[in-house]
Amino acid sequence: MSAGESVASTPVAPVAPVAPARRDPEPSKTKKIAQPIRSRAGFFARFRTMARTGVRMMFHDWLKMSGTMLGVVFAVVLSNQQLGTFLGLLYKNVMIVRNTSADIWILPPGAETTQGGKIVPYSAILAARTAPGVAAAEPLVFQTATVTLPGGGQEPVNLVGVASPDYMGGPWNVVAGKKEMLARPDTMIFEDSERETLGGLNLGSVREVNGRKITVGGFTWGLIPFGPSYAFADFELARELTKLPRDRANFGLVRLEPGADPQKVKAELKSRLADADLMTRAEFERAIVKNVLTKTPIGITFGTSTLFGLIVGFVIVSLSMFSSVVDNIREFGTLKAIGAKTSDLAMLLFVQSVIYGVLGSIIGLFLVSRMAAGIRSAKLALNLPPQLTGGTVLVMVLMCIMASSLALLRIRKVEPAMVFR
Amino acid sequence: MSSLAIECRDVKKTYGEGVTAYQALKGVDFVAEPGEFVMLSGPSGSGKTTLLSILGCVLTASNGLVKLFDQDISRAEESDLPGLRLSYVGFVFQAHNLLASLTATENIGMLLELRGYSAKAAKAEAHKLLGEVGLADKFESKPGDLSGGQRQRVAIARALAGAPPILLADEPTAALDAHNGLAVTETLRALARDHGHTVVVVTHDNRIFHLADRIVHIEDGLIVEKP
Repeated sequence: MSAGESVASTPVAPVAPVAPARRDPEPSKTKKIAQPIRSRAGFFARFRTMARTGVRMMFHDWLKMSGTMLGVVFAVVLSNQQLGTFLGLLYKNVMIVRNTSADIWILPPGAETTQGGKIVPYSAILAARTAPGVAAAEPLVFQTATVTLPGGGQEPVNLVGVASPDYMGGPWNVVAGKKEMLARPDTMIFEDSERETLGGLNLGSVREVNGRKITVGGFTWGLIPFGPSYAFADFELARELTKLPRDRANFGLVRLEPGADPQKVKAELKSRLADADLMTRAEFERAIVKNVLTKTPIGITFGTSTLFGLIVGFVIVSLSMFSSVVDNIREFGTLKAIGAKTSDLAMLLFVQSVIYGVLGSIIGLFLVSRMAAGIRSAKLALNLPPQLTGGTVLVMVLMCIMASSLALLRIRKVEPAMVFR
Repeated sequence: MSSLAIECRDVKKTYGEGVTAYQALKGVDFVAEPGEFVMLSGPSGSGKTTLLSILGCVLTASNGLVKLFDQDISRAEESDLPGLRLSYVGFVFQAHNLLASLTATENIGMLLELRGYSAKAAKAEAHKLLGEVGLADKFESKPGDLSGGQRQRVAIARALAGAPPILLADEPTAALDAHNGLAVTETLRALARDHGHTVVVVTHDNRIFHLADRIVHIEDGLIVEKP
């Protein structure tokens, strides 16, 4: 029987209008008698009722609601700013792996990052080309080089030597010129945001790189890793600039044929290449991230800041909701006195928590996105992926629900008899 | 089956334990028939409100028998009390105790929904109840926008939500002037006389005693019934 149907069977006595009453010494023997009410709201009906009541109570006290919301917004802004910066730094470390079109990397034995200047034999790349499932295999130079400035002094760059015609290792985000310019003799592509640092570069400018005159053939934007910016050259030019032997490279890049299984090809390559390690793109990214997290203080530093933001937000929300319950304690006592259970009031707090979490997240994420747009530069960019946005809402809702437990403890102690005092 | 709406036998209530224990009720016998309009009076601290709380399933008795419409509630578990309140009791409090954030309609409708009404039916019934207490033009008013007398009438309408068989009122006229106090009491009496609600009113207000079917005096936790 639905609630509506049960109502139909519940006798509802009409109420007499306010009118003078008189004593009735002989009440009618046939007058009707109000009967106990047996119908009850089901779970969802109670939830809906308590949700509506909770929302009304929230918006009735704007000041308190704003204070609670501020706690969520604070937690969202601080944690996202820290996590966004952290993810931005992580991206700097993996950007070259993520932006190459290589499916499998041939690595020097023991290599966990792109840094280090170790080498793999060129023969490994040649051997990879003949393996089943391999569409292409190219060498990559990855070493530090030095640009001599016109006014004296030097600036380091991360020199990336890529093989034509595929240019599997980059460049990407080319904002001036085009990557095919690398095919021209003694031509390189530099980072646009480092033009001033490198002595006022323009297209066609000539600079000395590792003692050899190089012409600027283009610019990229935002390709600054955790260190000097990337500068791209043809593989042969890069090899000559870094004095890398002809039969060596720093890495090998392998692109698979469509439909080829990376793990199977990797296993096949492993059997052929004894002097090199192999990782899929995803594996190499994970290895780099793991290296950053375990061998640098970045993870613990940003993790602590993020946790701090969440803790402060938790405390603010928790105290605000507790304070709100204390302020309205008589209303909660009344709700209990007229028949609401503690579980009903828990639903009320639950709905309030979800609203605080969602609304606070929306406001906080908006502020963070504006902040990210404001400080965005080639050197520093908050990385706010959709997963972080979704995760933020979820974490904030959970945080608010946990924070409401203090208020619920107080509500549990409310005795309905208080309404008679 | 008993014809009594309320039956209390040798009801005792003790607050606290050991040396701090305080016995508020010391063996109360009290009955009320369906449709009866009873006033409980007595000095402060005599146990009136404690008895009202026990009748309203807000407190449980320490000893003795309490029955509402033949259902023994003396040994009810704490978790069963909210359900018993929904089944049997409507409250009118001294300070009206309406939820400030809800409109008059919502204050009543919320309780109706807890008693199984659909949202639509609850709203219609709330409007009907408000109309019957003379507040047809205050459906959307919040308690802060109403006078003391109007708030108390909303509280009465809320107490009637779903037509519970027992109405318990704690000093319902204490915060009202003489005119409004009398009007509220007359409304309660009419509910008992014409519609079969058993109404128990705790009051000090001797201006309304003449409206009661019966006045029960409590002193020092014991009932001294007067004719």
